[in-house]
Amino acid sequence: MAFDPQREDYQRLGLRFARSLKGKNAAQATREFITFGRRFAQDRDSLPQSDSDRAFHLVTLASRRIDYELPFADEQRAHRIIDDGHRILEEAISLDPHCYDAIRMKSAAASSSFDAFLTFLNERSDEVRTHCEEQRAAIPPDEPSERARLMANIAMRPYLRWVATQAEEALICGRNRESLRLAHKALELDPSDMADVRFTAALAYAKLEDESGLQEFIATRQKTRLARPSDDAWTRLALLSLAFKRHDLEEAIAHLDKLLDSYPHAAEALIRQNELPEGVFARLAVAPYSEDEIILALSEATVLLQEGIDLQGRGVLSTWLIQETARKRPQAMLAVLAQQANDAQSGR
Amino acid sequence: MTIAMDARKEQIRRLALKRRRKLGSLSDEAFEELELAVREDPMRFVDDDEEQAFLQITQVLDRYEQSRHDDDLLDDEQYAQKREQRNTALVAACDQALVTYDGCVDALTLRLLALDLSQAELFDRLLETHESLRSNEGSVQIPVAGDAWANVFVRPRLRLQAALARTGINTSRFRMTCDLCMDLLARAPLDALGARFTCALAMARLEDEKGFDWLDSREGRHGNAWFHLSRAILMYKLGRIPAARRALRGFDQLCAGGAYLLLQPMYVDTYIPDRPTFEPGSFQESMLCVHEADPIISDIPDFAAWACDQKGFLASAQDFCTRNGFQWRNWDE
Repeated sequence: MAFDPQREDYQRLGLRFARSLKGKNAAQATREFITFGRRFAQDRDSLPQSDSDRAFHLVTLASRRIDYELPFADEQRAHRIIDDGHRILEEAISLDPHCYDAIRMKSAAASSSFDAFLTFLNERSDEVRTHCEEQRAAIPPDEPSERARLMANIAMRPYLRWVATQAEEALICGRNRESLRLAHKALELDPSDMADVRFTAALAYAKLEDESGLQEFIATRQKTRLARPSDDAWTRLALLSLAFKRHDLEEAIAHLDKLLDSYPHAAEALIRQNELPEGVFARLAVAPYSEDEIILALSEATVLLQEGIDLQGRGVLSTWLIQETARKRPQAMLAVLAQQANDAQSGR
Repeated sequence: MTIAMDARKEQIRRLALKRRRKLGSLSDEAFEELELAVREDPMRFVDDDEEQAFLQITQVLDRYEQSRHDDDLLDDEQYAQKREQRNTALVAACDQALVTYDGCVDALTLRLLALDLSQAELFDRLLETHESLRSNEGSVQIPVAGDAWANVFVRPRLRLQAALARTGINTSRFRMTCDLCMDLLARAPLDALGARFTCALAMARLEDEKGFDWLDSREGRHGNAWFHLSRAILMYKLGRIPAARRALRGFDQLCAGGAYLLLQPMYVDTYIPDRPTFEPGSFQESMLCVHEADPIISDIPDFAAWACDQKGFLASAQDFCTRNGFQWRNWDE
């Protein structure tokens, strides 16, 4: 599901616009609402909005630049993007001192270490929760129930993203039990799991080698029927790593086969194992079962892949995955090697 | 560094026990006499292939140990070359011992360790050996009570299992490591091989506070480098920073050079076949402990930096460095 900042920006202004039409007759309201999409795209300032809506819009701009443009930029452009991103986030915070998305994103870049960022998130988590709950409580009681539900949901999202980021950072810091606790907290708040925090949980269970915990977690999630089935790349990599840790290589290979079958160009992704920067707004929104999704999952599974002593310095599971994938898909290995040689030649 | 396995002593015991079995019952005094006679001239008492192979291992371990005496005088390249020659000789000697007697467990273990395989392959092959021996358990009597280490014929199997458990840490198989160590502790509670130290590290990595506490109380909470460092890691991972700080202070104050080694790790060669011997509280102990903990520390990206930031830790490390004539390396150099 993931968080899409553009879509959320649209929803926020849409809800406010709908509220501004209150008291108008149905025909008038419908006529005006038809103009909303055009005005949102071309004449945003003409729409009713609060400072917090404006600040959130700046968050979407910063997210687009940092999360979606930065990974593809050359060094010179990267510096400009980072500077722009900071400036935009500063502006968002000055417009709305409670813009916790901007506060979190700014701190992600400013923190000197993973640990420092996690400490920052932990220290301010309660404050974020209180603020989001106040926003939710302030929803006018006369809103139609469906709209009120969406407003309540949007009000809590900055906190959900905050907790999901805490869980992810705790995992990176090697605090796996803490990561699991936070993931469960996020799931309690939002059983539909917009933040896809269950992916982080699957990796944390694997780090703790808690196989029965992971199986139980999968079974419970399946009962809720809200999320996708647990055949995503994160869960699959967690199960694969658990089998590998048990030295059940046959089962590990069966999981690898499933990954190769369920994702396009999975072999290349498994051989490359690119490490991407974390999304600063939230986990990047990618299509389920897409090539992007397996690339993203492998990047997050670095905590599993790069552990242990290995001659290549890659990590024990990382090397095993490359070897097994190359054995099963020699063409993919050749293609990756050719690409790497090409990149080296052109100095990339 | 002194290798831990006292092969000569084990051989004397083995030969004396086998001879007693042949002679029928002997009084304690007579057995002591017999042991003295074996010590004088062990070769004379070797009368089966198994002991012949064990003798070959004893001799090669002597040569191995002797060849390490002047390692400290060599530069990196010379050291690498000598190390390779030494390992090649060890593999060849193990091969010969296995020709003499293919069931020589120490030869199987030492051969794998000296082959300089990747840790992943080493684990695969040690595990394969361990499992194939376990399926043929019948040949060796493992006592149900008492300490298996007391049976000198079982020791090679215990050594193999301890080496496998340590390789489990290097290949991120912490649950298996714990299981292997707990099994060793159940069969040989006096734990001559120090499996509890390996287990402490694995439990810290798995954030298993209950397991660690059990192990710590079993140890009488006396601690040593492994227990102090494992506790610091465990508490840090669980976010209990004051407790982590106390454990780190213990590691710094009670383990010679602990702080220095955590910030400036030192190279330690493969254990042949066991963890080398060390004096309690010695620099050697700290060095082995930090070396074994390395894969776990690397998995906690900010742990060393956090330790460095704790009051007095860096100063203690640098002070130890200066006092002992080591050179402080800056990582950005």
